[in-house]
Amino acid sequence: MASRQDLRSGFRERNLQKALGVYLYIGPALLVLAVTSIYPVIYSVVMSFFDWEWGGKVSFIWFGNYLRYLSDRSFWQVVWQTFYFTIGAVSVELVLGMALAIIVNRLRFGVGIVRTLLMIPLMVSGIIVALMWKILLDPTLGIVNYLLRLLHLPTSVWFGAPGSAMPSIILVDTWWQTAFVFIVLSAGLRSLPREPFEAAEVDGATSWQSFRYLTLPMLKPVLLTVLIFRTIDCLKVFAIIFGTTGGGPNMVTESVQTLAYRTAFKFLKLSRSMTLMVIFSIIILALLLIYMRVGERETVREGGSR
Amino acid sequence: MSARATRRLMTIIAYLLALVAVVVTLFPIFWIFTISIKSQRDAFAMPPVWVFKPEWNNYLEIWQQAGFGQAFRNSVVITMAGVVLALLLGIPAAYALNRMEFRGKRLFVIWLLISYMFPEFLFIIPMYVLYQQLGLYDTQVGMALVYQVFVLPFTIWLLRSFFADVPVELEDAARIDGCTRFQTLRLIYFPLTAPGISATAILAAIWIWNELTIALALTFDVSKTVTVAVAGFRGYASIDWGGMTAASIVSIIPMLIFAAFAQRYIVEGLTLGAVK
Repeated sequence: MASRQDLRSGFRERNLQKALGVYLYIGPALLVLAVTSIYPVIYSVVMSFFDWEWGGKVSFIWFGNYLRYLSDRSFWQVVWQTFYFTIGAVSVELVLGMALAIIVNRLRFGVGIVRTLLMIPLMVSGIIVALMWKILLDPTLGIVNYLLRLLHLPTSVWFGAPGSAMPSIILVDTWWQTAFVFIVLSAGLRSLPREPFEAAEVDGATSWQSFRYLTLPMLKPVLLTVLIFRTIDCLKVFAIIFGTTGGGPNMVTESVQTLAYRTAFKFLKLSRSMTLMVIFSIIILALLLIYMRVGERETVREGGSR
Repeated sequence: MSARATRRLMTIIAYLLALVAVVVTLFPIFWIFTISIKSQRDAFAMPPVWVFKPEWNNYLEIWQQAGFGQAFRNSVVITMAGVVLALLLGIPAAYALNRMEFRGKRLFVIWLLISYMFPEFLFIIPMYVLYQQLGLYDTQVGMALVYQVFVLPFTIWLLRSFFADVPVELEDAARIDGCTRFQTLRLIYFPLTAPGISATAILAAIWIWNELTIALALTFDVSKTVTVAVAGFRGYASIDWGGMTAASIVSIIPMLIFAAFAQRYIVEGLTLGAVK
């Protein structure tokens, strides 16, 4: 008969085996994430307290980098520009994507082909989108200005002037990413129950009323997720600015990430660039928490509906 | 007007608006394509010429200049290696997240979500320094590895939701019949979630193929990707429209093929990623 001692050690062995089993599954992924994401984040945070240029010597300066940025008006200007782009692009994309989802939802046939065609921009790399639009929006030789002239509409220099550069980049992002909003919201629309809409129709509700009082509230969780995804993506904007204006003219389209790129790879100020990224990550994280908190409160207020 | 007539009118309007949306979506790509097969003179003609004799020499020339052919091959290798690596690491991890308990699980899940949120340069600069020291800078291996920073969390996340749809009873039955965990993974999960795994692989491939920011910083010459090569035309935007447009079209084509054949999976993957 096995003593209690034996039983316990057998137990422990089994547990150990079980734990080893888990790490056989999770371990490799954990290891790769440790190298590619956990290590870099820690490294960035540590190095942000040092003064270091590529090839130069490293010296500890406490919060020197942070103080420099936080008191620098041109840094806040760049943060504001990034938010300006994000707010502009996300709101236009949400409205257009919602409209497209509703329109396509009304089609009787050909939904698949329309969806496939509308989805194509999502398959295109940001840098290619940027270069394409640089050609299309060329002030003198571009097709867009030509078509506008044909229709006797005012033309623009697009990326060329401080006033129109950022709206042009918002336009480019809208062409590129609206399909994402459209696809996710389409799936959301299809998942809604039919009965409330039928009841509303019987009661004589207009289509605007059923959109306002049925579709929108029921879609809220999906809308919030789309909003979070698009906001994060837009705050991280790089390729479409890099490929069109490169941050110009007069730095009005510089975003946080293009600034980080120049700081690190043009001016070789590595620790400063890492500080920039740490500050920006904190801003994004804070924003995300606010979104989630708002989302939670909404759900609670509606009695946890969906 | 009767209700039925109104509804019919609405449907017609919906079709018209959908048509406008499709034209606005596709015309830019179509126009860029026409520029790529125009002669230099026709490309810069104003007013633009709509009828012309197509010339394909831009497509022949890009393969010889600026290392575009090499870049294209690099992208193929890096994309395939990156996707295979993500699946090899991601499938067991996603399985473990669904069916096993372990310490730090919650933290692991949170990290998967958070890493999507971090801006690229937060990772890029430390990886640049590390890669310079390890000799991984400007290598295909290095690129396939560094892309895991976004591709792996995304893969695990998607696979986890696909795997969650597999009934636990089925797996328990197999376990009772003497299957090991690896066998249940192979005999039950793979066949049942093959569409989900394909969707995940396709989305990961699209992401890697199109990525610019990381490639721009961590490759220089022998391993530069197709996006970096296309970005190389940036400075000459006003001069070499032919080369730039041809290179763009060539880099879009593999993704268009994906879109054509895997449309349903892509939609499923995108929605699942966002909705769940």
